[in-house]
Amino acid sequence: MGVASRYWRLVRIDATGGCKVEAIDSLAAFFRQEFPEFAGGGEVQDTFIQRRLLDLLHNDSDRSILAEGCLRCFISNQIEQVCLQLEEQFGREHGFTRYDLFSFVLDDLDLLLLHQRGSLQQGAYKSLATEILQKFNPEKGNLSTWATQLTKHHPEINAFLLERGVYLVSDWAILNDTTPKQVQRIFSQFHHLTPAEIQQAGILLESYHLVYRRERLKLRQAGGGGKCLPPTDKQLEQIGQYLVSKLSQEKRDILDLSTEDILTRLQEMAGKLRQYRISVRRGMPQTDSMDDPEIRRQAENNPSPKWDNDDRDEQEEFLAFYQASFLESLDLALGKVVSDRIANLKRKKPPIDSQFIEALHLFHCQAKAMGEIASAIGFQAQYQVTRLLKLKEFRADVRQKMLEFLRDRVLNQAKIYVDPERLQSLDSQVELALDEKISEIIQEATDEASNPNRCSQSRFSQRLCKQLKAIADFRF
Amino acid sequence: MTYYSNNLAALDFDFEAFPVEAIALESANIDRAIQISSAIPNESQQWQTYLNALALFGFEQWLNERAADIPLNSADSTVLQPQYANVFQAVANLTVGSFKVCLIATGSLTDEEVIIPQTVIDLPEFAAHFYVLIEIQEEFEQAIIRGFVRRDRLDSQCQALNLPPNADWTYSVPLAWFDSDPDRLLLYLRCLEPSAILLPEIAGDRIAVLSTVQAELETLLPLLQSRETALWQVLNWQQGTAVLTNPELLEWLYKLQTEENDKQEAETQNELRNYLSDLLNLLTQRTVNVARWLQDQIDELAQGLSWVLMPPTFVPATVSMRSTQSLEAVLPTGEFEEIIKQLANTGMEIPTTARGAYQDIGLADIQARLYALTWPFLSPENTPEWTLLLVLGPTPDSALPNGIRLRVSDQSGVLVQRTLNRNSMDTYLYVLIAGRWDEKFLATITLPNGTALTLPPFAFRP
Repeated sequence: MGVASRYWRLVRIDATGGCKVEAIDSLAAFFRQEFPEFAGGGEVQDTFIQRRLLDLLHNDSDRSILAEGCLRCFISNQIEQVCLQLEEQFGREHGFTRYDLFSFVLDDLDLLLLHQRGSLQQGAYKSLATEILQKFNPEKGNLSTWATQLTKHHPEINAFLLERGVYLVSDWAILNDTTPKQVQRIFSQFHHLTPAEIQQAGILLESYHLVYRRERLKLRQAGGGGKCLPPTDKQLEQIGQYLVSKLSQEKRDILDLSTEDILTRLQEMAGKLRQYRISVRRGMPQTDSMDDPEIRRQAENNPSPKWDNDDRDEQEEFLAFYQASFLESLDLALGKVVSDRIANLKRKKPPIDSQFIEALHLFHCQAKAMGEIASAIGFQAQYQVTRLLKLKEFRADVRQKMLEFLRDRVLNQAKIYVDPERLQSLDSQVELALDEKISEIIQEATDEASNPNRCSQSRFSQRLCKQLKAIADFRF
Repeated sequence: MTYYSNNLAALDFDFEAFPVEAIALESANIDRAIQISSAIPNESQQWQTYLNALALFGFEQWLNERAADIPLNSADSTVLQPQYANVFQAVANLTVGSFKVCLIATGSLTDEEVIIPQTVIDLPEFAAHFYVLIEIQEEFEQAIIRGFVRRDRLDSQCQALNLPPNADWTYSVPLAWFDSDPDRLLLYLRCLEPSAILLPEIAGDRIAVLSTVQAELETLLPLLQSRETALWQVLNWQQGTAVLTNPELLEWLYKLQTEENDKQEAETQNELRNYLSDLLNLLTQRTVNVARWLQDQIDELAQGLSWVLMPPTFVPATVSMRSTQSLEAVLPTGEFEEIIKQLANTGMEIPTTARGAYQDIGLADIQARLYALTWPFLSPENTPEWTLLLVLGPTPDSALPNGIRLRVSDQSGVLVQRTLNRNSMDTYLYVLIAGRWDEKFLATITLPNGTALTLPPFAFRP
């Protein structure tokens, strides 16, 4: 269900790379004439309209061009939606806008205009929209789904997003990494398919594996790799041969084993696995943007688990006992973790250790947002800063180094270090202590003048900033 | 047939961003993984091995970046040894600091059930303190540590659910059992005392178990020649345990599966199958300790088998000098000396420290006499080694039939096989072999009609 105007409103890029939405009058008039019941605007029955338009496109030479024009307008709207959604989901953190995406996929032209100019030649220019329309099979699904599919899998969009840390797993990678046993379980428990369908899928997958995985390993051996491409016709033929040898005679007779059919079957199987995959991954913890205040808080302060009273007493005792060496071990840990990180980043090509120190300083000592930090250190997008800083890991490394130091200082604390749960809650308690605001705890005179945010600084940030300042003084 | 939702807003939008902690696999590591997987004959196991190797290298990179001071030892890990990688779906026997770690590699799919091989849970030899789930995005060359589960947690949860193994020797474990925070794994690796998590003890009676299934294995294992066949399809778990805990049997199996399909190797194939019974005997049978002979003693087993020790004086310092002495040729010692003399003529050097024994053997209607002579020596690399000289001859007034064979094997394969040739002038067969002190030799005498006698293995344990 959607708005009728999508059938005469063409979304395309203009010469400047911007986006242009044109309402094409002749298409609007044609649509009103063909579908008077929807002419008043409001919601329309897409399936019904598309069937009719396709019928006209294929069987009515007079109205064929107009019908195609309407369908291509519809597709352009769909493509636009995909780009908008990608921008909304990833754009800010990964440094791109919808316009970057438009340039790859909104490449259609006004069909009627081309027709009038007589420049409509077979095979002259093929936009994504024409490809979508040509390959569309109404028996297999509806047009909006199909258009979305092809847009999402558009190679240039994929390559562009991958450069920015956003990826779409290919059907072929999913099939490579799925065993027949998994297919059997997922297809029966998740998709509720019949035993016959499941058995056939298993055989198809085995045949695919024998051909595609082997070629993939060969490709890797030859130094190739990258995103898995659809199987070639030759590979599909080989898959067909394996299938024939594995299927029973009666199955062989009913099934269409053309390469095209095998490709479709494989894509359908991958689609089902993808659905399952998404449902599982939705339930998994996600990595989020560090600019989300809640996430930022969590990154700086892991929620602490509940302890029973005995444990708490013991751990407080532990901490109290080490009060004297607490700051010392924090400083040692910070020094070690920072220098390890610097050493690692120096080895990168190009080395990015200076950016790391600066970003760490901007985040902890200046309380800057990731986006700001990105531009300050010359990175394209904030996700790169997130990956550079790895704040959560950084903090975990510092805590763990501290616990190592504390353990090595006193031998009699074995009780905690032989109990995973206690060790974990001790870790959380150290985290709490690190997060305590220094103004409430200690009144150490340090770089007060240099830091306007001093009052809200945690003990962790305060000690870290002190070290960063020393590093900066040494370096510059 | 539609398999996607109509509504765009409700569409499964399946683009993802790499998590912050994703590990970019180094290209040299990808090359190594390809190389490792190419040694695996079964194609689906080959892919799994490829993912396993990527998981190992990804884990190595992760540890190196986060905690370079924790030593990682992968030399003994199953994925780096083809005979293990051939049958292991996970990477077992990885040592990180003082902990044992098992890596479970998964691919792009993401399954809410994690498949853990029964081997790495139920066999203490391969058990781990931590089972780490590593997702490999092969096409993007990324590894992501998805989670880990502690051995003690895994045990208690399996027990609580009374989780049974699957028919294919795996456990299906819910993804939710895995702690999704790799930092916590690092906390344990860095700070926890290994005694905090107990591992099951290795059962001492592995060889005893192997002997109980020895006869079954002799018939069943050759069925695994087809590389499409998995162990669980042919063996029961007890038989499987015996095989999986025995490196030599896994090595044998690997050879069997890798040499398949090559028509010219048919001969080797046959030999390999024949060798299986030798190998099983070597692994399970009590040995005759010939080192005792050097102290003028004979162990109980040898005594029971009627080995007769020959006096120390019989061996000539140099055979040619002793040749003037007259000895009764009918006595075993004398006869043996004759043989030694002949061997010495071929250039064989036998030190005076050597000691020997003989045994009369009745095989079908054939009477034969087997002499064994042993002496220790130092290899050029200064490792202590030992020599075994076996001579199979006729008993007095008889002759060995043409076609009689003497075969000697050790734990790596058939070492020598000699056949008495119609055209040759020889009246006896001899075999001279040497090995380290931990090596054992197994001798088998076969008649032309196939009747065979295998003697208990010879060992040298001074």
